[in-house]
Amino acid sequence: MNNLVILPILIPLLMGVILIFFKDSKSVQRTVSVISVGLMIAVSAYLTYIVYTEGIQTTELGDWPAPFGIVLVADLLSSSLVALSSLLSLVCLFFAYQTFSAERERNFFHPFFLFLMVGVNGSFLTGDLFNLFVFFEVMLISSFILISMGSKQYQLRESLKYVIINTVSSMFFVAAIAYIYGVTGTLNMADLAVKIGELEQTGVISVIAVLFLFVFGTKSAIFPLYYWLPHSYFAPPAAIAALFGGLLTKVGVYTIMRTYTLIFPHDQTVFQILLIFGGLTMFIGVLGAVSQFDFKRILAVHIVSQVGYMIMGIGIFTPLAIAGTFYFLAHNIIVKSALFLFAGVAEKITGTSHLKQMSGLLKTHPYVGWLFLITALSLAGIPPLSGFFGKFALIIAGFDAGNYFVIAVSLATGVLTLFSMMKIFMTSFWGEVKMPDPQAKDKKVGSLLIPILPLVALTILLGVAAEPFMQFSLELAEQLMDPSEYINSVLNKE
Amino acid sequence: MSTLHLVALAPFIMAIFIPFFYFKFRHIHTGWFILPLPLILFIYLIQYLPLGGGPMETVERSVPWVPSLDIHFTVFLDGLSLLFALLITGIGTLVVLYSIYYIANKKEEPLNNFYVYLMMFMGAMLGVVLSDNLIVIYVFWELTSLASSLLIAYWFHKEKSRYGAQKSMLITVTGGFAMLAGFSLLYMMTGTFSIREIITYGDAIVTSPLFLPAMILILLGAFTKSAQFPFHIWLPDAMEAPTPVSAYLHSATMVKAGIYLVARFTPVFGGAPEWFWIVTGFGLFTLLWGSVSAVRQKDLKGILAFSTVSQLGLIMSLLGLGSAAVHFDVVDGQSLYTVAVLAAVLHLINHATFKGSLFMVVGIIDHETGTRDIRKLGGLMTIMPVTFTISLIGIASMAGLPPFNGFLSKEMFFTGTLNSATLDIFNVQTLGVIFPAVAWIASIFTFVYCMIMLFKTFTGKHHPERLEKEAHEAPAGMLISPVILASLVIIFGFFPNLLAYTIIDPAMQSILPGLLEPGEQFYVNIYHWHGLNTELFMTMGVVFFGSMIFLNHRKWQETTFYLKERDPLNWFYDSGLVGLIKGSTVVNDVQMTGRLRDYFTYMFIFLVLGMGYMLWNTGALAVDMANTADISIYMYIITLSLVLATVVIPFVSSRISAIVLMGVIGFLVALLFVVFRAPDLALTQLLVETVMVVLFLLVFYHLPELKKETFKPAFRLTNFVISIGVGLVVTLTALSAHALSYENPISPISDYFVENAYALAGGNNIVNVILVDFRGLDTLLEVLVLGIVGLAVVVLIKFKAKKGEDV
Repeated sequence: MNNLVILPILIPLLMGVILIFFKDSKSVQRTVSVISVGLMIAVSAYLTYIVYTEGIQTTELGDWPAPFGIVLVADLLSSSLVALSSLLSLVCLFFAYQTFSAERERNFFHPFFLFLMVGVNGSFLTGDLFNLFVFFEVMLISSFILISMGSKQYQLRESLKYVIINTVSSMFFVAAIAYIYGVTGTLNMADLAVKIGELEQTGVISVIAVLFLFVFGTKSAIFPLYYWLPHSYFAPPAAIAALFGGLLTKVGVYTIMRTYTLIFPHDQTVFQILLIFGGLTMFIGVLGAVSQFDFKRILAVHIVSQVGYMIMGIGIFTPLAIAGTFYFLAHNIIVKSALFLFAGVAEKITGTSHLKQMSGLLKTHPYVGWLFLITALSLAGIPPLSGFFGKFALIIAGFDAGNYFVIAVSLATGVLTLFSMMKIFMTSFWGEVKMPDPQAKDKKVGSLLIPILPLVALTILLGVAAEPFMQFSLELAEQLMDPSEYINSVLNKE
Repeated sequence: MSTLHLVALAPFIMAIFIPFFYFKFRHIHTGWFILPLPLILFIYLIQYLPLGGGPMETVERSVPWVPSLDIHFTVFLDGLSLLFALLITGIGTLVVLYSIYYIANKKEEPLNNFYVYLMMFMGAMLGVVLSDNLIVIYVFWELTSLASSLLIAYWFHKEKSRYGAQKSMLITVTGGFAMLAGFSLLYMMTGTFSIREIITYGDAIVTSPLFLPAMILILLGAFTKSAQFPFHIWLPDAMEAPTPVSAYLHSATMVKAGIYLVARFTPVFGGAPEWFWIVTGFGLFTLLWGSVSAVRQKDLKGILAFSTVSQLGLIMSLLGLGSAAVHFDVVDGQSLYTVAVLAAVLHLINHATFKGSLFMVVGIIDHETGTRDIRKLGGLMTIMPVTFTISLIGIASMAGLPPFNGFLSKEMFFTGTLNSATLDIFNVQTLGVIFPAVAWIASIFTFVYCMIMLFKTFTGKHHPERLEKEAHEAPAGMLISPVILASLVIIFGFFPNLLAYTIIDPAMQSILPGLLEPGEQFYVNIYHWHGLNTELFMTMGVVFFGSMIFLNHRKWQETTFYLKERDPLNWFYDSGLVGLIKGSTVVNDVQMTGRLRDYFTYMFIFLVLGMGYMLWNTGALAVDMANTADISIYMYIITLSLVLATVVIPFVSSRISAIVLMGVIGFLVALLFVVFRAPDLALTQLLVETVMVVLFLLVFYHLPELKKETFKPAFRLTNFVISIGVGLVVTLTALSAHALSYENPISPISDYFVENAYALAGGNNIVNVILVDFRGLDTLLEVLVLGIVGLAVVVLIKFKAKKGEDV
């Protein structure tokens, strides 16, 4: 029992509510937001440290014993993801301050932003299936308004599709919860693991597992459930798109990782399905990126492709594969957000995000170019950057498990990823200087690069100094693959 | 971390300081700061040569990098890596010196970029040849590809530079990915990434089912990098790079990385017939293809590019032929087949010298005349005498004429192919005659393009009006490097045995380990005159037929063969890219239609098939009505009305009636709650439905009439099937779940709530207690959701973003 676990949820919740009442004071809004995100980082980093040294931490809310009340659980996976997303939210916040109009900030951007973090952090930390559903709702509704605020026609049209698809998926989430409650009589994830372990995941439980895959797959944007993503991520400003691109789908991937290692690890067929759809997702996703000629759109569709790698990793389902999946997940959170922010920088400079309308950025803004190139290469898995090590661990794990075909698909996807990233670099950064805005050449964007720098530094660090992070991932994977520690610490069985 | 680690890392460290040199000492050419580094490294490496005779001592130093994935940064210096390291640093020194004069220190010239890329390449290339760990090799390998692309696009405002950069990047990195897969497969077989350990596994690898895939994947890496047919198409387009780069990366070093890899893996794969045939076959074909294509070129750099392709093929085929050596005993330090490996190593050195000097010479011509087009050039012999002399030496060596070093390796190449023709393994018997025949024909074409290069540039009439600049001899500084290389061509020509036991034997020891007893050495004795043997007659034939073809060039100058110079294989690359984008657009457009109904179609197909498959596959389907509660007549009525109302909705044409029907469904559900004796739920449902219907009616009243849409029957049928499908799987799963819970009785957590609601939480209404106490967090968050929705409505109405205001 450790009350620390609830703080990453409580801090943004309280501060968000407080900020509703200070809508006209920009300084209060900004200060409070930064303080609360800073606190989130501190708490979650400390929490990760505690979990690493002392083992899994739990909080039973209202002191109702598990499995009857709601329990929050911080293991290595959830605490490190909370830490990473808090860090990312700080980056996006600083980027937003420099790119947002005052009007947007006055219209409750800060509360919505913090409420989104409530949903994200809560989804990582909760140990209760129904509570997860509720956190999903919080996340969904705050992300909906963050996409649509501004009420441009495009925003409204795409956010409507976004919210409808996700609501339908939520309905199936409730149905899936009902089924599983009908079979096991419990909602606590650890308890579910025990009960389903006793039932040996017979028949219908695997069917329910697939229904959960539908729900979480929609959140993670796997093929063919990703349709809400590509257009809607194009709508919001870069800072928000970066936050979404980095976090939202990853929450979905996290839930698949969590439920499939903890609750449904017994049926091999389900993992076969994950492998198949992991492969399809990465390939079809990258084809989408190949076909686009817009900076932001390429990045948006690309999220789908990258999710495929993670799904594949879960599908391989060995400790090394799970470690690789986590490494890839962390890498992707960092790199994908950084890329969206670069798209924002390019748009700030040139006034467009369409590749064919800008070129020669490397000549006018060399630092943007180099930092972008490093990040883009990392996304394509070029060593010695972070993208390589996640992919490499997955390749080895996949070969070890005999999944040659899907690994081949992942390598082919790597080539196409490189192609689509090269396309951005070739058309907008190389070439003669040509931009729609005549003053674009002399625009100074150095201050915009500052928030991105830590992300670029991280992707280099996770590559060049991969060892400590890889060890952490391997330990994390071990904790996931042997859920007994999780179960025991939740159900207080020593 | 040892000094040898530093050798590989020093250029990277240097790269970090380059911008400092560039901006701080703007008036001094940045190249001068760089120059000492490769020179120092070269001198440092020389001390490892066994200059005193006797076998070379290998050095190994290891630093863990990512030990949890078995990645150690182990440097290993043996004959082969030393040979390459000396080439990289030696030619590197000359190229840096040359570049100082070639790329002027002008304002618009980003010299800092140039030297950062160049140092990055040098470090990466040293890393490739000095590392023992396959993954470290791979890491450096990709870095060389990256540096190469960046250098090709150094003048990135040119369309062709970008095209060339993209092409080389895509082809070499794709090969790199394949190689990584191959390395990983080797890891599956041996459990180690250390090449030296892998070599000791021998038969365990050969008998593994993964042997062939691993071999092919690794060869893909080698072939793409070393521009072997059909992957060579990137090399001619890489000529857009500044000429020092072409001399360095694209002829002397980087393109030989594939050769290095093949040589390195000969102890692992050599001896397998597949290896022999693939390496030899692709090598020979590349040799032929490259030399024939070179004849068609009009750009001097184009000729050199295809010539490089062809010569790389030559070295590759020699390594393939030489791999047969592992099956034969070595007598007195040689066998019929070790000579091929000897020739490969010798030619590797020779090619670096003569091709390096030729590239530099072409750079000079380009620099001093403004063109590299042989149709515009001519008569430069008297205007640029030094340049001419260097070219003459280089070209004669490339053509395989005595007394230059190219003659020695070419003779030996003929010997190698002739010996292999008599090979009695790998089913060589019938096909064996092809080896020397291809070698000979390719050599004729080599001779022809050499003649074209020499005579079209330096003899004939000088046409100053066709040139962009007034031609004159290059400055002395620019000539130093090519002169040094040309001197080496002559020195190695006259005294080839300088190399014999200092570098060639150590390199052969690494390629063919285990053939010799410890302490023994290969017999390396290279000389010009072997008597009147077949090889000499072949050379004479080459000169004769080559000259005949060249002298008759007027006759074939107008043929399409000569007029079309672009490699036909480019078609596959170009249309492949176009097709890729077109194809992916189709795939994308089919899915991302922008219409929700399409999205849901795909999503529900996944749902129905996925769940349906699992229901069928796991045998979970258990519909057993025996264990369900009695169904009262009310329930039948309510449920049937529910279904009816639902079915009717798609057919109504006005919004109002649709809303009313939705309301009916809602109220019927409330009734169901009543029947199930859940009054509070029913009450809530009634409230919600009432508010919803009223709100919808208010809002929808202002919307225009629904447009009547007509759909094709097929579309309707699909929707019908999908909706039935979704309904079916959801229902069947519910029934099956119920059946399972009946089989395995459970005690739900609600029992706890029933028991403790009053005792522990002080409430009589369990639902209330659950909401506010047992699961209070859920309620708090749902309240939050409502709050957000409220705020969201305000924001959506009030806040209209102006265009371009924020990004």
